[in-house]
Amino acid sequence: MSKVQPIQFPVSLGGPIKKAKPYLFVLPILIFAVGFVYYPFFKTFLFSFSTVNAKGVITGFSGLDNFNYLFSRRDFRIALENTLKITAINVPVTVFITMGLALLATKKRRLSPVYETMFTLPMAIAMSAAAMIFKVLLNPTVGWLNHALGLDIGWYQSREYALYGILMLTVWMGIGFDFLLFLSAFRAVPDQLIEAGTMDGAGPWSRFFRIQLPLISPTILYVALTNMVLAMMVSGPVIILTQGGPARATTTLIFMMYNSGYGSANYSLSACISLVAFALTFSLALMAFWVERKRVHYQ
Amino acid sequence: MSGMKRRQLWGGIAAQAAALALGLIIIFPIVYGILGAFKSPAEFSAYPPTFWPKSFAYTQNFSDAFARVPFLRFGFNSLVVALIGTVIRLLFAILAAFAFAFYDFRLKNALFLVVLATMMLPGDTLLVTNYLTVSRLRLLDSYLGMAITSFVGATQMFMLRQSFLTFPRELKDAGQMDGCGDLRFLATILLPISKPVLVTLFVQSFVTMWNAYLWPLLVTNSNHMRTIQVGITMITSFEDTNYHLVLAGVALSLIPAFLLFIILRRNIQRNMTAGALVG
Repeated sequence: MSKVQPIQFPVSLGGPIKKAKPYLFVLPILIFAVGFVYYPFFKTFLFSFSTVNAKGVITGFSGLDNFNYLFSRRDFRIALENTLKITAINVPVTVFITMGLALLATKKRRLSPVYETMFTLPMAIAMSAAAMIFKVLLNPTVGWLNHALGLDIGWYQSREYALYGILMLTVWMGIGFDFLLFLSAFRAVPDQLIEAGTMDGAGPWSRFFRIQLPLISPTILYVALTNMVLAMMVSGPVIILTQGGPARATTTLIFMMYNSGYGSANYSLSACISLVAFALTFSLALMAFWVERKRVHYQ
Repeated sequence: MSGMKRRQLWGGIAAQAAALALGLIIIFPIVYGILGAFKSPAEFSAYPPTFWPKSFAYTQNFSDAFARVPFLRFGFNSLVVALIGTVIRLLFAILAAFAFAFYDFRLKNALFLVVLATMMLPGDTLLVTNYLTVSRLRLLDSYLGMAITSFVGATQMFMLRQSFLTFPRELKDAGQMDGCGDLRFLATILLPISKPVLVTLFVQSFVTMWNAYLWPLLVTNSNHMRTIQVGITMITSFEDTNYHLVLAGVALSLIPAFLLFIILRRNIQRNMTAGALVG
């Protein structure tokens, strides 16, 4: 049998086909990026300045009418307030908890694999499963939490506490991943630096604030930023646990967007809310980067 | 000196005890949920609420949950959607990363930015308009419709490109001289080398899609097309809370992602944090 020569495909087909090749490779992801990210964004933008019928077809230009209508609605102001409140609480609390856990776990000890697994486990739980568990756990009559802590709170039933009930769930869900980020950041701080600090007589507090904190500041920024985006977009737990209630106490922007678009087919209103949520999130991110340029220390 | 050693020893024990205690608090909801799956309705309505079930042999909830909603069907739907979404997302990401890592072409930087910039538009704000698109494409209530919005994986593309860039370009050119075609080079040399990254990205994407809730809820309306995450929230209703059945469903739904997580924890921990920090 004679040896079969491999077909010299790339060599024989030179010229235009060869030039087109990288474009062909990039094409699939581009098509879907345009179709399901850029096109819907553009369409949301158009919708917010138009009148749109219940089938999602634009019927006319309406200028700023939709926005004026939205801003005049009391439920929008409530949703905006709730969303900002969730973000303002969720971000610092998550950073504080996960940074504390990571600090405690930085040094590798015998039981490290055990508690590292425990700290990261919430990551493996789906939002809807976690929400259902919290629904039972925080239930005022059959739930264990109120009973164990001697409380009498309708976590998802009362106007005062429902938002905090949602927050307990969102904070819990974020623990795993952010803990991992802080853990690897703390472990990347060179031991010599800490030892040198100890030699110079720095106690644990000043070692933390003078050595570790500046070195992990990029991670703090990253965790705060990703958490901020997630908190601004909270809607799933609201849909499952409270439907925005009681008395709109847990209505968030994205929940309102979902409700007015998917629920009542008011697509222009829904598009306006979506744009407001996007613009707010984007400006908060820009602010964070502005702070970063002043405060964050890169190695 | 020995005093300091002893202090360190006790400090270590105290730190581990504190970490374990906090760990128990963190996993408490999960444990509580799983234990609840073994409680009878009577145990649930009893006051004061209990923590441990009377008996782990009580499996009535699981069979009742199965009788009430088509769990296996939900699980199968979730599996299909997560597989379609993950495989196509990775395939697209691999092809694009390959082009960005190994070719020079005029629009390279611009197109690279176009793909990366998709990360800046949060998917949640696009839900309603994407719903309209999918409904116009007549993909409501279909596996493709549920998976289609997750085909673009900018993070995955970025991480694969980073990984591909570590491969010396001269070696690729040398392979080409020997008649090794581009796609063959990709499939037989590059991908096997990139296996660790691919495994991480696969697991990460799979778990994300397995756990997805809002989009599958939006684009399905018939019962038999629901995914498991949507399904477990349907066991309860305003008239009938059925907490025992809900928790049985939850416990069942946790199994796959849980197993993957436990098995691949170290791998995920290493690669995910690396990826997040560059992203």
